[in-house]
Amino acid sequence: ADVAFGKSRQDSNLPVEVEADNLSVSQEDGTATFTGNVVITQGEMILSATEVLVVYAETNKKITRLLATGGVTMVSGVDAAEAASADYSIDAGTVLLKGNVLLTQGKNVMTGDQMTINLDTGTAQIGGRVKTTLQSGD
Amino acid sequence: QNTAKPDKAPADAVLVADSLRVEGRNRLIAEGHVEALYDNIRLQADRVEYDRDADQLIIAGPITLTDGDQVIILANSGELDSRLENGLLRGARMVMDRRVQLAANQISRVGGRYTQLYKVAATSCRVCGSDTAPLWQIRATRTTHDSQEHQLYFENAQLRVLDVPIFWLPRMRLPDPTLKRASGFLIPSLSQTSQLGLGLKMPYFIRMGDHRDLTLTPYVSAETRTLELRYRQAFRTGRIEFNGAVSDDTIVPGDTRGYLFGTALFDLPRDFKLTFNLEAVTDRAYLLEYDYSDKDRLESELAVTRAKRDEYARAALISYQTLREGEDNSTLPTIIGDLSYERRLFPKALGGELRMSLGAHSHYRYSDLDIAGRDISRADAALSWQRIWTLPGGVRAEWMSGLAIDAFSVHQDSSAIDSDTTVTPQSALTLRWPLLKTTRAGASHVIEPLLMLGWVGGSNSNLPNDESTRVEFDEGNLLSLSRFPSYDLRERGTSAAVGLSWTRLGPRGGSSSLVLGQVFRENAITDFSTTSGLSGRSSDLLFAGQIKSAAGLSLSARTLLSNDMDFSKAEARLGWLGTNSALGASYIWMGTDLDEDRASTVSEWLVDGRYRFSRHWSATADWRYDVAADRTAEASLGFLYTNECVQVNLSLSRRFTSSTIVEPSTAFGFTVNLTGFSAGTTDQSYTRSCRN
Amino acid sequence: CGFAPAYGPSGQADKLLGAILVDAPETRDDQLLVRQIETRLGRADLPRYALGYDLKVVEERMAVSATNITTRFNLVGSVRYALRDTDTGDILTTGTVSHFTGYSTTGTTVATLAAERDAHERLSSILADQIVARLIAASPDLPE
Repeated sequence: ADVAFGKSRQDSNLPVEVEADNLSVSQEDGTATFTGNVVITQGEMILSATEVLVVYAETNKKITRLLATGGVTMVSGVDAAEAASADYSIDAGTVLLKGNVLLTQGKNVMTGDQMTINLDTGTAQIGGRVKTTLQSGD
Repeated sequence: QNTAKPDKAPADAVLVADSLRVEGRNRLIAEGHVEALYDNIRLQADRVEYDRDADQLIIAGPITLTDGDQVIILANSGELDSRLENGLLRGARMVMDRRVQLAANQISRVGGRYTQLYKVAATSCRVCGSDTAPLWQIRATRTTHDSQEHQLYFENAQLRVLDVPIFWLPRMRLPDPTLKRASGFLIPSLSQTSQLGLGLKMPYFIRMGDHRDLTLTPYVSAETRTLELRYRQAFRTGRIEFNGAVSDDTIVPGDTRGYLFGTALFDLPRDFKLTFNLEAVTDRAYLLEYDYSDKDRLESELAVTRAKRDEYARAALISYQTLREGEDNSTLPTIIGDLSYERRLFPKALGGELRMSLGAHSHYRYSDLDIAGRDISRADAALSWQRIWTLPGGVRAEWMSGLAIDAFSVHQDSSAIDSDTTVTPQSALTLRWPLLKTTRAGASHVIEPLLMLGWVGGSNSNLPNDESTRVEFDEGNLLSLSRFPSYDLRERGTSAAVGLSWTRLGPRGGSSSLVLGQVFRENAITDFSTTSGLSGRSSDLLFAGQIKSAAGLSLSARTLLSNDMDFSKAEARLGWLGTNSALGASYIWMGTDLDEDRASTVSEWLVDGRYRFSRHWSATADWRYDVAADRTAEASLGFLYTNECVQVNLSLSRRFTSSTIVEPSTAFGFTVNLTGFSAGTTDQSYTRSCRN
Repeated sequence: CGFAPAYGPSGQADKLLGAILVDAPETRDDQLLVRQIETRLGRADLPRYALGYDLKVVEERMAVSATNITTRFNLVGSVRYALRDTDTGDILTTGTVSHFTGYSTTGTTVATLAAERDAHERLSSILADQIVARLIAASPDLPE
């Protein structure tokens, strides 16, 4: 499929695995904070960050939202995105990256202030003084 | 990855925008102040869509594409490749060097070198609003701009003035404004003169490499078929230029007439300079009738010279050709050889300055007639020592003494001895006593009494005098020992020159000065003509003044007042320089003097002025009026209309002088110059503004 | 009446004497100008000031006779000069002087040549004297 990020359409319902050095859970708002070399994988996509706050749905304890801060890298297939922070809302299937955003799509490189990746439509919207090079497809 | 940047253009264009939408791997949509930069091409637009596979930018305007600093293309929409070199721009206007505009409904860029415009309107005139037609424009179905050769090729071109088509050409080529040298037609001009009738000049410039060019100008009129030519060549150490013309006209039917003027200037080793100057014409009236030159004596010269602080050297061979009525080349010195060497030395022991000069001169007349065809050669050598002291009280005293030896030889003049040598010891004491005053208002005055006491021994040989026959007396030689212009005659005996020089410098930049002077001598010198002012035992009173105002007015005048309060000579120059106007007036009055071949008084005004009376119109006029004969010698009037895209030059001139060689003539000239395509810079003050 | 000798013990213009290096000449007119200035103000071994100049001379046809013979020429000369301090390089005084001389052309060709050459010499001498007068006038304000 012609997807802006990753090889194929990212299925946001796939299971999410989280590895981290340590974990602290807060009972009252049902969130957990992983710190230290956090690596989150979902299907093809791997998200790594220094700290990730995970939000679970009250009902079925499924992860609805991941809030990564302290420098985030997302990799999927040949594409990669870097930013200061990333807010992955799994239900909406969108990832909002902010702060020195860098998207590499194969050999195409794009930079900007913030970027929204829509995993369902396979599009990415970059804002703030964006810069890229126009490499033809061949 | 080696850091040495490859010489060829960078790999990819860079895109910058406020926001970028990435759809899949193939499409990018950039929006908001989009800029694409590739090599020295820069594209600005509101929205750019990039299709990677097709390598195509779909651009929504308003688009500005800047190619280097010369070409700007403005368009509404278009498609280009990612190197911004190939593609199409619609509703486009191309502006070259900020002067020439080419509007087209479609511009296609080919390979980054060619730009093709379809349904083109090209002009360098200001376009106010899209409905008003420019003063002139060139319409063409297609125009191709070759940015490498800097040429514009028009197809099916039509010149329109105020939207009225007046001229059509299937194909036309014009250099783009950035091209300095290209072969092609220059601006044609119309001219009408009494002798030659209405004629057209069509100059064609041929570029022969970077260092040579030839301009051929056919000039055709009812009375003449003429080809004018100008050849120029630049060398590493110098340059040459030849101007000439060949004519077949009805004024002198049957034989071809023509002229050739050439100049050359070369730097030689050790600071020597070679100058060459050729002036030749087939008959005496040609130059004036064709208005190529108003010279009445042609001077050709080959000279090697060197001028340094302490040394001057010159070797020259000069030949003359007279065009004057009543003058015959054979009885005029037409071949002249001149050698001169001067040296200044500063002996430490002796102090002061030693001046040494050596010279040789000879002039030859073709005629072998006795006296009328005489040839004279002379040589001179002089050595002088001078020193200057500051005496108590601030008097600057300069003592000079020296010796000069002159040798002469004369041929074909039975009335004179064949040769002679004269020895001239001479010395002079020159005293200057400058006094200074500065007023409270900031004006400063310098008053300088002058006194020269001189003695010159020896006596002039009674040889015929060809050179020193026109002697002038002014502030420049008031204190000189000998005021004869050449060495074949010298002032002799004891003499005294008395003078006063006063200079006032105003606080706001104005200045005025006055010089008075008179020469007294033990016994009169008969070789001086009366109007030279130096005849008799006491010379005329020299009275010279100058006034210059800070606002641009300057008046200089000089006169020689003889003892019985009569004028020998008076000359004056007035100059006025305003912001939009300039005026120059010169006057000369010389009394009758048969020694100077002047049978009647000469009194003549020359006035010339330039006045820019509006943003676009300026007028020039000059007028030469012979007061003594109460008639005008020459008058001319010129009108010039200049704006940012056209220059119209209208000139009318009338010469009243006549002789057996030339008759009076009226000339009228008209040129229209579509500016903007020449590489010259334009004065922005002439640009029209849109009054909306 | 306020005038004081320019040179001598209390003279302000003494600083000019033997202190100015005039720029080297390139043409004959330049050389005559330099020679006259150096003759009047002396040459500088250790120059305190430097005098730069730009001399231009143009010729003007005068007295055109009825038979179109130009019987007189005016030589119009102007010099833009600047006196600089050799230590700091500052321009101390600057200005423009201009004047004209004339010569007749009714004589033989060699008489005209001699008259023209003499007119150039006189013009350079007049312009040099004008510059020296202005330097004397400016001398009170020149640094020692």
